[in-house]
Amino acid sequence: MDPLKSYFGRLLQEEISPMIMVRTTPLAEDACQKNGLNFVELLLPFSSFTKLNVPVRTANDQPYRIQLFKLRLAYACDIHLQNDEVAEEHLKQVVLDANQNILPHLTSEPPELQNLLKSRPRGYIYSWAIISSSDEKKTVLFRLNPIIAPSFGCEDRSNLTSCDFLSFPMESDLCPSWIETFNKELIRTVSFSEHETFDHPVACLFVVSSKDEQPINRFVDLLNTDQFPPLLNDGVMDPKILKHYLVLHDRQDGSPDKVSNILAEMRSTFGSNCKFLCINSAEARSDDGKDVPWMPYGSHILHRDNTARLLSREDINGVRDFMQDLSSNYIIPHMEQKIRILNQQVAATRRGFRNQIKNLWWRKGKEDAPESPDGPTYTFSSIESQIRVLADYAFMLRDYELALSNYRLLSTDYKLDKAWKRYAGVQEMTGLCSFMLDQSRKDSDYCMETAFTTYLKIGSSSQRNASRCGLWWAEMLKARGQYKDAANIYFRISNEEPSLHAAVMLEQASYCYLLSIPPMLRKYGFHLVLSGNRYYISDQRHHAIRAYRNALFVYRENGWSYISDHVHYNVGRWYSFIGVLDLAIKHMLEVLACSHQSLATQNVFLNEFFHVVQSMGKKFEVYNLRLPVINMASLKVFYEDFRTYASPSDVHVSENLWQSLEEELVPSATTSRSNWLDSQMKSSSRRNNDSAVCVVGEAVVVELEFQNPLQVAVPISEISLICSSSLNTPPPDGDFESPYNSDSSFMLSKLDVILETGETKRVEHLKLGIQLEVCPKMEGLLKITGVRWTLSDTVIGYRHFEFDMKGKQKKGRRDLSSLSTNLEFLVIKGLPKLEACIQHLPKKIFTGDLRPLLLELRNQSEFSVKNIKMKISHPRYLIPGNIEELNMDFPKYSENLESAVIKEAPATVIPNTKSFLFSFPDDAKVQGRACLTWPLWFHAGLTGKISLYVSIYYEVESCSNNMTYRILRMHHDLEILPSIDVSFNITPCKSSLHEFFVQMDIVNKTKSDSFSLHQLSSVGNMWEISALPTTLYICPVQTLLAGQALSCFFKLKDCRKNSSNEEHLSGCDLLMVSQDNKEVIDVSKSPMVEFHQFERHHQVKSSKMEAWAWKHSCFISLLHMKIYSEGLSANLTYSLFFLRYDDLLFFLTFLKGSGMLPVSVDSTSLPTVLPSLAEHFLKLFPSSIPSQSTLHIAPQLMVKLWGDLGKVDFILISKMAKTDPVIEPVERPKLLTNHTCHISISSNSPISWQMSGSRMINHDFSASFCEVGFHLRVQNCSDSVVSIRLVTYDVMPGRKHSEMAKLSDSSGNGSGWNDISLVNDIKVVSSVQGNRPKKLSMESQFPFIWCALSSTKLDLQPLSSSEIPLKICLFTPGTYDLSNYELHWELNPPERITGDLKTCTSGTVYGHPFYLTAIQLQH
Amino acid sequence: MAGTACFIIVSKNDIPIYEAEVGSAAKKEEASQQHQFILHAALDIVEDLAWTTNAMFLKAVDKFNDLSVSVYVTAGHTRFMLLHDSRNEDGIKSFFQEVQELYIKILLNPLYLPSARIASSHFDTKVRALARKYL
Repeated sequence: MDPLKSYFGRLLQEEISPMIMVRTTPLAEDACQKNGLNFVELLLPFSSFTKLNVPVRTANDQPYRIQLFKLRLAYACDIHLQNDEVAEEHLKQVVLDANQNILPHLTSEPPELQNLLKSRPRGYIYSWAIISSSDEKKTVLFRLNPIIAPSFGCEDRSNLTSCDFLSFPMESDLCPSWIETFNKELIRTVSFSEHETFDHPVACLFVVSSKDEQPINRFVDLLNTDQFPPLLNDGVMDPKILKHYLVLHDRQDGSPDKVSNILAEMRSTFGSNCKFLCINSAEARSDDGKDVPWMPYGSHILHRDNTARLLSREDINGVRDFMQDLSSNYIIPHMEQKIRILNQQVAATRRGFRNQIKNLWWRKGKEDAPESPDGPTYTFSSIESQIRVLADYAFMLRDYELALSNYRLLSTDYKLDKAWKRYAGVQEMTGLCSFMLDQSRKDSDYCMETAFTTYLKIGSSSQRNASRCGLWWAEMLKARGQYKDAANIYFRISNEEPSLHAAVMLEQASYCYLLSIPPMLRKYGFHLVLSGNRYYISDQRHHAIRAYRNALFVYRENGWSYISDHVHYNVGRWYSFIGVLDLAIKHMLEVLACSHQSLATQNVFLNEFFHVVQSMGKKFEVYNLRLPVINMASLKVFYEDFRTYASPSDVHVSENLWQSLEEELVPSATTSRSNWLDSQMKSSSRRNNDSAVCVVGEAVVVELEFQNPLQVAVPISEISLICSSSLNTPPPDGDFESPYNSDSSFMLSKLDVILETGETKRVEHLKLGIQLEVCPKMEGLLKITGVRWTLSDTVIGYRHFEFDMKGKQKKGRRDLSSLSTNLEFLVIKGLPKLEACIQHLPKKIFTGDLRPLLLELRNQSEFSVKNIKMKISHPRYLIPGNIEELNMDFPKYSENLESAVIKEAPATVIPNTKSFLFSFPDDAKVQGRACLTWPLWFHAGLTGKISLYVSIYYEVESCSNNMTYRILRMHHDLEILPSIDVSFNITPCKSSLHEFFVQMDIVNKTKSDSFSLHQLSSVGNMWEISALPTTLYICPVQTLLAGQALSCFFKLKDCRKNSSNEEHLSGCDLLMVSQDNKEVIDVSKSPMVEFHQFERHHQVKSSKMEAWAWKHSCFISLLHMKIYSEGLSANLTYSLFFLRYDDLLFFLTFLKGSGMLPVSVDSTSLPTVLPSLAEHFLKLFPSSIPSQSTLHIAPQLMVKLWGDLGKVDFILISKMAKTDPVIEPVERPKLLTNHTCHISISSNSPISWQMSGSRMINHDFSASFCEVGFHLRVQNCSDSVVSIRLVTYDVMPGRKHSEMAKLSDSSGNGSGWNDISLVNDIKVVSSVQGNRPKKLSMESQFPFIWCALSSTKLDLQPLSSSEIPLKICLFTPGTYDLSNYELHWELNPPERITGDLKTCTSGTVYGHPFYLTAIQLQH
Repeated sequence: MAGTACFIIVSKNDIPIYEAEVGSAAKKEEASQQHQFILHAALDIVEDLAWTTNAMFLKAVDKFNDLSVSVYVTAGHTRFMLLHDSRNEDGIKSFFQEVQELYIKILLNPLYLPSARIASSHFDTKVRALARKYL
């Protein structure tokens, strides 16, 4: 573009223009003042000419025309360098003036990017946003801005005509106009400097009023050089300047006739440069009419009432003509002439080779001169000054070529002279000339740079010159579209200026960044902030706010936290300074959640905020207050409709669990309509079904998490919900909702908390779950809309619950699809509500603990409830008792009083389901405000953690609502600790068919508690416990210390034959205490017997698995081994039998996967594969088998004896031995019962037998040998047919011995109940040395022979017995061991288990010792 | 070690995802916000420069008073920006390269969402160690 037409070009043409010095007489001034103007002001509007059209001829012979021209006017007294303070004040006033205009803008919304760039067409912003590669950038730029496009190398303008993006924001759109004024004023502060001549007056205008007496003398007075500015007198400029004389005539003083006389006189005295001007010819008007002819020109002067009142149109035209005449006929010709004269002089002295050499030589000689900061002084007559004048005049007359050549000439001279200030000034002008000539940018930039840095180098005296240079430079760059560079220049200026000026400069820099292509928004923001900061430092708060506010949009909603905190905090603070408190608070709110700041800063922020709020003087409501942080995702709503809860923790239990528990309890919903008429009825209630139902007087609880992000503790008070309610009374016309006074229709809970600091950095310290309640008091619709709180007693924050994430955040009692409906409640009429608690239920209980509990049902309402039912999830642990048991003293009550009639056990309790339904008797009603207590029995069956769920169903009497029943839900978590672990092993006794030996292993598994064993009972009347004959009590000690293990042995007798087949639950008890407390506890009484039933039921499964395990003992013991090696306890391996069937499969699958198992296994093939697996495992792990499990390594058969009848149940009753002070008396268990059920009698043969016959005979051997008859009673204990072959030996075969020895060796070194075999029993019980035949006695002699059959074979039906007659012959008296017989048995198992255990279905057993003593009969 | 050094990682949507003052100079209250301002403003320059070169290390792209901003732009247009007062260009380059290694490891974490804030304390320790080593 043409630089002359750019803003900067015009600016230069205006600013660097001929200066006219004005001198007036006071009377002349008076005449002007009647119009409220001084003389300069009067002329000023006519001093610039847009269409002067004057031909000009300077040094060149070619004339050219000047269109645009301007004269500057100044009083002589003003032509001097400005004082610094005055200049500062003047500039400050400019800023302050602007202050007035911006205040209204500050209270409005801050500008947006779109507004800032509003002059750009719509597509513009989008376009620069997609610029990515540099090539692309060029094309887009070209489309956008043809003015600056060439600078990027795009010269093709062909497609520009159709382009829509031609409009481009001008700086004036963004930059406040006062900044322009400020710049001009700043530049003017360095006017009339010595080193530059363009400010030096070209001409002098002398003005005398026609009223003055002796006007000629007045002119002479004015010509007195004493009054002239120092520039002329100091010899800096030529005192011989063009003089122009003017007589000013005031029409009011009379006709201008006499003026002509004066004019003639003047002409004769001063020559032709005399003019005459008439003013004040108009009538004085009182109205301030619009037809004041001055109006179009007076815009630059503040309008006053009397401004230009007296100026008529003719006057104005006269002034204009005068000025035009002055410039075109006097000033310009004068300058032309001067240029020509000076040019000749310069050409004579400086042009040409000779002059150059001379000049250099001459200057070289001056090098030794001392260096002063301004360089040597130059008078107006020195050649340097003359060149400067020449160049400046040429510049002012637009002959830039001439000016440039002279500036260049001059710059070398000044440089050599080290006259730096002048050098800089010349460089500056060189740069401007280059710009005006549109020459290379590099040159002009270089010159400006040199000038700028040189000025700065000189020091503070020319700092302002540097600023001016910088401003021009920046303008120059802006004119060329180099906004980014211009911004840099402004930034450089700002470093040199006092803060206020710097602020203005920085602000301009920021606009430059905005205008650059593409806009550099971040730079824009940053520089605005810098500028605002400077404004603040220089006490210009309005401007500071304006700058910061403009920057806000740059920093909105991004992660640059420190930045946005700084901006918002300061804007807020400054707003509070200027008293705009609401906006101050608005911005302060943004910084409240400043968790990233340091503690001190947080304190400052908070205090400032509270200070502002307090000065506001009232409580402030803020939507979405940032402090504290509310975790909306944590929102949970709890309410009670027909489902009520005993304690808040019960709510968290999954609804499905409750529903499955309550299946039988709750009447099934009658959703199916009987006929089409019903649909009409239902539709009305369906509406209500959409929203949740709650009951009048029952609180709805909302749980919400509050979080303090700061390190400062924050007090929060009056946290409450925001609710709205409407009365729901369906009127006949169907209008449902009517607004209702919300104050009385519900009640809100209020909560005060102090959110602690986050110093510890632990999350749980920061968060605080808060439960808020709303309690409806009227029927209708209740809606929870939000939450409100008061921060530090000053600010009320509120927040609405937002439901954009439907169904995601909801975890309430009912998972509805949308939360919005969940927060809407239909409030129905008050209903009775039962409250329940189970008293004395401890959290930690020992296994086996049996205790009475009390269920307390309390009805708080007026209405009574009926038809109460209860469902318990784990009847193994908790059962309801009878009402009679309420006042009984436990455990005394259970003790078997002699008078008590043994009650036949009610076999009605059949625990077939997992849960247990109990109906309270019909007469059990809970009246209003009454209380019902009911006994419960608790028995801790199994170790571990357990959750007990209890649902209590009740119906509402006299109910008018849809809701006819309610459910009370209770939930308790218990931990059951291990106490006493009991295990039994029963083996047949060899001496009797009906007696069995029992080994009872007791382990106290507690860490510190001791138990005293009280009683052992076998359940049922089939068995009788008796102590072994050698001991009085079966148990050697009564108190079992912590960790102690104990084995007891006793005898069990089968009494089935004595009684009927009917099963009793009375039992046989064996007291284990020896001292005082001898009361026997009756296990057939109420709680005990029920619990036993449940235990039996639960242990059935385990016993089945156990049976299975016996059959595959080999394999199972390998499993034992495996688990032992992983460090688990034996108890767990035991539980593996019945709990971990699937784990077993998994284990096998794992082995298969790792290549250790040849076959694949699933649940159906497992039984068939197992035997071969057992062998396989034996091969696999021969060496790693620990000693604990050696017994079962040898494949052998363990037969389940007696079938189902052979199951024995034991109850071990013990008591807590010592009073442990840690446990509260209530929590102490009174009685512990261990139920062990379904214990099978185990043996390694399916048969048992007993020899019977006389033990002693008297016989006269001298007479004959003796024949003795015996019976061998063989019993089949298994549930399958066994065929038995009895073989008697006179001589014991030798091979049998070794086999038998091997067998007993392998089983001899075991430990634990698994190892207890018959061998050990006998060892312990009696002194008989095993079942091994006495070799010595047998091998030395054969004292008897078996008569009759040597082999008998018979089949035995399951559980039957038969007798085999035997007979021996004795020949001598003595004692005989009749044990040398063998019983071969073969099992014919039922069809279902054939095939898999072929190898194990037969065996051989050896005879028990039976001693016969024959005595010689003495005659 | 540099007197002032502020390291920041800016995600491709211009949000800082990691910030660390790694300089040895005592931290002033004003410093953190000033550093953010400078770095934030320098993003404009980076936008211009990043597309003009193939190099990832853009050297010192911007300066404010005596503080320079060196930038490293990854292929995913994540920008590592270092505000520093030292002139150790090689060290800064090495620092950026090593940090990129660390950053890639962060990206490889399947639980890390790209452009999310890097909260890993391990990363932080490593970056500070690198700063001690190179800056």
